[in-house]
Amino acid sequence: MIRVEHLSKEYKIARRKPGLRGAAQNLFHRTYDTKAAVSDVSFSIDQGEMVGYIGANGAGKSTTIKMLCGILTPTAGEVRVAGIVPYKQRQRNARNIGAVFGQRTQLFWDIPARESFNLLKHIYQIPQHRFDENLRTFSDVLELEPLFGRPVRQMSLGEKMRCELAAAFLQDPLVVYLDEPTIGLDVSVKARIRKFIREMNRNRKTTVILTTHDMQDIEEICSRLIMIDAGRLLYDGDLRSVRQRFGNRRTIHFDLATTATDTAMPAQLAPWVFAEWEGREKVHIQFDARQTSASDVIAAMMQSYAVRDLTITDPSIESIVKDIYERGLS
Amino acid sequence: MTVWRYARLYLEFVKQVLKVWLEYRVDFFIGALSTIVIQFASLLFVTVVFEHIQQLNGWSFYQILFIYGIAATGRSIHLIFFDNLWTLGWQYIRTGNFDRLLIRPINPLFHLIADRIQQDGVGQLAIGLVVLIVAATHDGTVWTPASLLLLILLILSSGVIFSAVNLFFATLSFWMVDSLPVMFATFSLSDFARYPLTIYNKGIRVLLTWIIPYGFTAFYPAASILEPAKFGLMALITPLVAAICSVLAYLFWNVGLRAYTSTGN
Amino acid sequence: MRKYIEIFKSQLQLDAAYNGWFWANAVASVIGLLIAFSFWHAVYRHTTQIANMNLPKMISYVVIAMILGNYVSGVGNRLSESIRSGEVAIELMKPYDLLLKLIWLDLGSKVSASVRNSLPLLVIGYAFLGVQAPVSLAGGALFAVSAILGVLIGTQFDLIIGVLAFWTVNVWGLRVLRTGILSIFTGALIPVTLFPAWLLRISEVLPFQSMVYTPVAIYTGAIPFQAVGMTLLIQTIWLIGLYVLVRLIWSVALRKVVIFGG
Repeated sequence: MIRVEHLSKEYKIARRKPGLRGAAQNLFHRTYDTKAAVSDVSFSIDQGEMVGYIGANGAGKSTTIKMLCGILTPTAGEVRVAGIVPYKQRQRNARNIGAVFGQRTQLFWDIPARESFNLLKHIYQIPQHRFDENLRTFSDVLELEPLFGRPVRQMSLGEKMRCELAAAFLQDPLVVYLDEPTIGLDVSVKARIRKFIREMNRNRKTTVILTTHDMQDIEEICSRLIMIDAGRLLYDGDLRSVRQRFGNRRTIHFDLATTATDTAMPAQLAPWVFAEWEGREKVHIQFDARQTSASDVIAAMMQSYAVRDLTITDPSIESIVKDIYERGLS
Repeated sequence: MTVWRYARLYLEFVKQVLKVWLEYRVDFFIGALSTIVIQFASLLFVTVVFEHIQQLNGWSFYQILFIYGIAATGRSIHLIFFDNLWTLGWQYIRTGNFDRLLIRPINPLFHLIADRIQQDGVGQLAIGLVVLIVAATHDGTVWTPASLLLLILLILSSGVIFSAVNLFFATLSFWMVDSLPVMFATFSLSDFARYPLTIYNKGIRVLLTWIIPYGFTAFYPAASILEPAKFGLMALITPLVAAICSVLAYLFWNVGLRAYTSTGN
Repeated sequence: MRKYIEIFKSQLQLDAAYNGWFWANAVASVIGLLIAFSFWHAVYRHTTQIANMNLPKMISYVVIAMILGNYVSGVGNRLSESIRSGEVAIELMKPYDLLLKLIWLDLGSKVSASVRNSLPLLVIGYAFLGVQAPVSLAGGALFAVSAILGVLIGTQFDLIIGVLAFWTVNVWGLRVLRTGILSIFTGALIPVTLFPAWLLRISEVLPFQSMVYTPVAIYTGAIPFQAVGMTLLIQTIWLIGLYVLVRLIWSVALRKVVIFGG
């Protein structure tokens, strides 16, 4: 369905000289810095796959997605989506794809959601029976009915995102790009959205590419991970091996009540944990839940320090990417 | 056929916009009324001046009104239908919303233009038509069906020229993110066109005829009807200028679009 | 489209990166000057006097009036925006008088505008368009006093329009209405003495001609020296009257805020 071969994108950034004289100089003679946003990335995705495309901010995720959508032209390499080169036949490619771009709406700001969908029907030339059927199915899972009469500008983030998803799948696309579809949503809306995406994929064999910072999204939706860092492909494989490695990874963030005089870990913890100090009043402790337990870590810390507050979190995408980058995935 | 498809699609956009207008009737009314007030102020200005003179450089009061009427209706076509060009930089490119247009299976320029139909222009259209009718029945022109058709063609050309010039300068936004100040400055040149070009010095006339052809948005079309002996040819040239401007602006737009898709934002 | 430009400018005024707009405004102003200049030259081609004014006098009037006309708008826009967004509630808790703060902000931006916008126009006017100097040194001084009064009157009127945002949703329509009325009655486009008698009578009982016409007429000498004292008095009365009116509407509006909790 999607073939990406040796894809690269370089941006030219004009180097601005400061001040009025600099501005005048820039008019006639510009110097450019080139920044490689994506370098020599290759992968291929089959129909019906659900792929998590992850990386830290600025790793080149959205640049890649933009090239797959036809919004950006690559500097080198080739892209084919359903046999079409997106940036050469942007409008033809657009028929095959659907997209949710995080906070930006695909809908029409001022008009009620129902009318927005209706306009999309005309734009994508969706046959009436398909349109009716899709809207009915989507309404069931996403509970759109109560939103139909309201324009996007009057919706909450969660309501808006439900409509966005419906809009992305409305024209029966072959591929759907989802950029942070659950960011900022509460747990129940997240669950509903994930369920919707899974159902679409199961019933229609829609290929889904998901970029997210939420590990939960990936665990529940994707079977495969493509990881990118500094524009380079870092990992491409199934989710299982990543989960084996990181599924038991925990981080506990401690806020200390007093300034620590000694930043060394208590002896009984030292072999199992990785500590990262932020000043001398905050420390983030990473460990593997199979090697030591959260309660042991907390107990040991409480003994050595005056702990004011603590939170336990799953590993962030950033820390996983960093880890794989530094140590590989063996 | 593509043209047919776009026409139908445009109608769908219009339907939506009309619904929004109906929902905000008061806004619509105030918007239209306020543009009428602005127009009224400049009409009053001309009327007051003509209390003291019989003619302006050989043009009578109603002839001046006629020029004014063509300018106002032509501009209103641009304001109603092509108003969204003004927002390309700060509403689409700066915010990244332009990407939304690019992942749709329709022409992005069409999408941009259809995204908004501006109600305030309706007031200007109304007053422009009234002025035109008053002027046309008083300025001594003998009207035939053919000349009326010609007038309509010329007004449409005027609207197209306004829009094409604006499209050209809006396109600069692809490089400079927001070209609104440039558009604003250029658009203010169109105020020249409200009076006979013959009152200006040569430099201004050349500028408005050959470089930024606002002269063809009001004066030349009006003169071709008022003074066919001297300006008759302009009736032919005006639609031609409109066509050339549109083609050039659209080509430039495509260049801008290519620049946008190769640099991103 | 004017709406967007207004919104945009009000946004941009907040930050200093204002360069593009400075040039755009400058170009638009110069174009306005050229149009007026050419127009009036054409008007005077077949006549030497209109309402007791010859061409040089008329050009002087039109150019100075155009420059002064730029000052009649003010901070009303900012006030109505902050009312609409509800920010005004926060402003009201601060330890200063919001109206006075706005007036001072307004004066500040007008002072900087006079250097950036008016000075270049004035230079063009004197150097290329044949604008005459004030009739006398004293006349120039009186013009300055009258112009300051006029600008202050404009600020008060603008605040009135701004405060009305408490009652209307469509601030934009109101502002355009204001622009229309001002461009007719302030005399920024044309001396009010050119008006037909009935219109002149209306204009004389309104405060608007005090904003532009009065100072510029003092400048050109259209208001005779002995009568200047009287016109300055009238301007002062309008200024005080409008100031009181703003205060009055403002206090009514504040009660509304208190009731609705912002």
